[in-house]
Amino acid sequence: MPGQSTDSSLISLLAEYGKERENLIPLLQEVQERFQFLSPEAVRAVADHLDLSENDVYGVATFYAQFRFVPPGLHHIKVCEGTACHVRGSDHILEAVERSIGIKPGQTSEDGSYSLERVACFGSCALAPVVVVDDKVHGRMTGNKTQKLIEEEE
Amino acid sequence: MSIISLTIDGLDIEVQEGTTVLQAARKAGLSIPTICDHKDLSPYGACRMCVVEIEGVRGFPTSCTTPVTPGMQVTTQSEQLSTLRNCTLELMFSGHPNSCLKCPHRELCEEERPQATKAARTTRCGFCANRDECELREMALDSGLNELDLPTIYSAHKLERDDPFMDRDYNLCVLCGRCWRICEKIHGKPAINIIHRGKWARIGTAFDKSHLDSGCVFCGACVDICPTGTLTDRFARWQGKPDQSVATTCQLCPQGCSVQAQSKDGQLQAYTMPGFDKEDRLCLLGRFGAAQILSSSKRITRPLVREGDDLIPVDWDYAYQTISQGLLDANGTTVFLISETTSREERYLYARLASSVQGLLLSCTTEAGPDDPKIQELAASIEQGKVKAVVTNGFFISKEILNKTAFSLVIDCMESELLETAQAVLPAAVLCETQGSYRSADGTVKQLRQCSQAPGDARPEWQIVCSLAQSLGKEGFEFDVLDAVTRLVDNDAPPAALEKDPRENSREIVTRFRGHYVADIVPSLAAFDVPVTLANDAGDGRKKGFALLEKQEIVPNMHFLTIEAPQVARFAQPGQFAILMARETSERSPFTLVDWDKEQGTISLVIEEVGRSSRELASLRAGEHIAHVSGPLGLPMTIENTGTVFLGGGCYGIGAIYPLARAFKEAGNRVICAIEAASSYLLYRQDELAEVCDHLLVGTKDGSLGIHGGIAEIVSAISKQEQIDQCVIIGCTFMMRMVTKLTKSLNIPTQVALNPIMVDGTGMCGACRVSIDNQTQFACVDGPIFDGHSVDWDELALRRSAYRRQEVQALPQTVDLNALMHSHSGGCGCGRKND
Repeated sequence: MPGQSTDSSLISLLAEYGKERENLIPLLQEVQERFQFLSPEAVRAVADHLDLSENDVYGVATFYAQFRFVPPGLHHIKVCEGTACHVRGSDHILEAVERSIGIKPGQTSEDGSYSLERVACFGSCALAPVVVVDDKVHGRMTGNKTQKLIEEEE
Repeated sequence: MSIISLTIDGLDIEVQEGTTVLQAARKAGLSIPTICDHKDLSPYGACRMCVVEIEGVRGFPTSCTTPVTPGMQVTTQSEQLSTLRNCTLELMFSGHPNSCLKCPHRELCEEERPQATKAARTTRCGFCANRDECELREMALDSGLNELDLPTIYSAHKLERDDPFMDRDYNLCVLCGRCWRICEKIHGKPAINIIHRGKWARIGTAFDKSHLDSGCVFCGACVDICPTGTLTDRFARWQGKPDQSVATTCQLCPQGCSVQAQSKDGQLQAYTMPGFDKEDRLCLLGRFGAAQILSSSKRITRPLVREGDDLIPVDWDYAYQTISQGLLDANGTTVFLISETTSREERYLYARLASSVQGLLLSCTTEAGPDDPKIQELAASIEQGKVKAVVTNGFFISKEILNKTAFSLVIDCMESELLETAQAVLPAAVLCETQGSYRSADGTVKQLRQCSQAPGDARPEWQIVCSLAQSLGKEGFEFDVLDAVTRLVDNDAPPAALEKDPRENSREIVTRFRGHYVADIVPSLAAFDVPVTLANDAGDGRKKGFALLEKQEIVPNMHFLTIEAPQVARFAQPGQFAILMARETSERSPFTLVDWDKEQGTISLVIEEVGRSSRELASLRAGEHIAHVSGPLGLPMTIENTGTVFLGGGCYGIGAIYPLARAFKEAGNRVICAIEAASSYLLYRQDELAEVCDHLLVGTKDGSLGIHGGIAEIVSAISKQEQIDQCVIIGCTFMMRMVTKLTKSLNIPTQVALNPIMVDGTGMCGACRVSIDNQTQFACVDGPIFDGHSVDWDELALRRSAYRRQEVQALPQTVDLNALMHSHSGGCGCGRKND
């Protein structure tokens, strides 16, 4: 994992933002866009820039499902756990994915092929339960169907 | 600011503008339940217990966040509000262990066990260090809410024991946010915050860093403000609710912070902050170190006088006589080495004594030790014979130099190498064991008040100096009360200020107390990179002994261990036990054999983490070694075909009844097994048990699974359906006692496996003495299984609790905690991974 604190592009990115607290989320978003995830070094740098505690920054960042703390895999799998998907058994899908690639939400598989994320809602409730792989939405999913989908990606 | 009039529950109230409805109600003497509110924190509105009805306002606003307005009509009590609050409370309790609140045996149990069990994980009130102070429990009991219908979902968060002073169990957290809010208020940038969201939300640090790396300075404010047992001071945790709280001053450094000293039974538990404001904050040494210094096992407790190679304990009068004679015989200059952090009165008296013997007083700073330049000069004077005698009230001089004097006296609280060469040693009462006044570095004179008993014969130094002076025949030391000395102290110089504030940075704490390295007295301080002379022996012996093949925490607090011990496995029989020592220095503790495999040469045990020894065992990992395993010990259970056998197990007994069930079954009995736990998530090995019995029944104290109750309720239900010919009960003393009382009335022969304190396990020491039918028996060789109807339970309970205090004190001193301390994944660079 490259140390982002020494990365000059992170420093110049931070320099574009004022030191007001309201810049926190936009700043985190841009850091993630640039580096794919929020590393401990990046969180520390953002905290220092805004004169906040890194625990505060981490607290805010972990509140939002959009932030990742490990580099994403080659294929990024998002399983919806929103109300509609939940009542239609999204837990089973998540379990099936966890079993088949051996990672938990928020993690990336050791070989870097897959990462898994649990998302609150995609707004595609009519298609519940929903799985999104690399920004492609798959509706009315089951554990088996998701597993097949993963096998096809390989 | 204007005055606002409003009505709360029909009462007309006038308050200042800006007051919240909650504050106004309190002012009027009305009580509204709340858990996130705290007088020293700004309104937060998280717990939603303080909801009220306000005329003309939609919904149910939280009174803590609603400012009063003129003419407001507030209702704090209504049926709807009670329902709402009870629902909120119920939701809160669904994430917080609560089985005791629903347990049918609560009152009896609390009577039998007045103090909470010192478990690792708190799974119920009876296992909670905070039981007597829990605001949540109080709120539930006040609300009369005894029907908690939502099941407890145990979050199984990892116990956080990776810093030197705090135990954190976020399974008890209700997210009131008091901890991080007070941290932010006092330190600006909080060392903790709420991380994640929804049901995953919890208090934590960025990337789960250890508190050693999260910016925490260990002021302890979060521990003191937590309404539940989530955050605890590891040292004070199991000592119970303080019975005395005294405002005094910390003498550990020239800063002289005001503290609130909390003590119980005359023993200091902690110095806490006098308030929850920035200026009240304390450094980690004051907050967590002071009590550990006072309770150190290295305290000097008796006057000692040298005879040849030995220091002999003597009485005070003899000590004074010998010392005055020694000083007279030395016949030359006496130098007094006195710590700057000694009280004003005592420094004054030392100075007075020094001048009356034409001696010299050297004031030693907080950081002074034997390597101080001043001491090197003194060493030269001693060598040249200019100085004949030395009196020191700390470890300010090396034993070698001290040995070169004609006479030397140590007046100190803590053992050091000086005891090897000193001619006499007097035990001093220090910190809040004594009284007086203290001048802090900024010149302020502060009061020192007593709230802790000095150990053994230790006395305050002002008394020691006066008596010694009188024994030397000096006049002007006839003080009966300290006040008389205080009046004489004038123009005393304040101690030199510290360069950096230890309250700002945990690495800036003073490293010495009276010349001793603080980390030598409180070993866990080594985590802050302060100097230490003693080698840390954590991890010692983990590579020798009996291989631990498997170790798993099967349910909270219950660890299943499989150990390679062929000789034990070869001879093991049902009902027997083994004695384990985690390390060479551990205590011996007995555990019932749960299973064994003669071919593989392995034994299995279930260990409940409830004290030092079991914690040491629980902190081992598969692949490491247990220093000693001896067994099988005790008499095996007599297994006969008696018909229907009822086996009841609770806690560790669930594992312990397994081999008995198997043997009784093999002998042709109908075997009924019953197991109990506080809640369903604490039951274990049900599948294994079901295989070796005809019928498996379950009881839970919160009614979450099976019968609402325990073994007693199950016995009583079964006995109505069929005849029980034999009963065997294994579990806590309280449960066994309750069940035997019942089976006696039902006339069922009942055997119990007793669990007294045991040492050698071979009948030599007598620690496990129990009275069966008024006959003395040893549980280790005559038991552990006895007729339950003949046991003297009161005596057993009394003997089991004989070392309660020492057991509590032993907990934070266990070196294995250092091993637990390093179980985190980041920051320390130790390379050790989380489980």
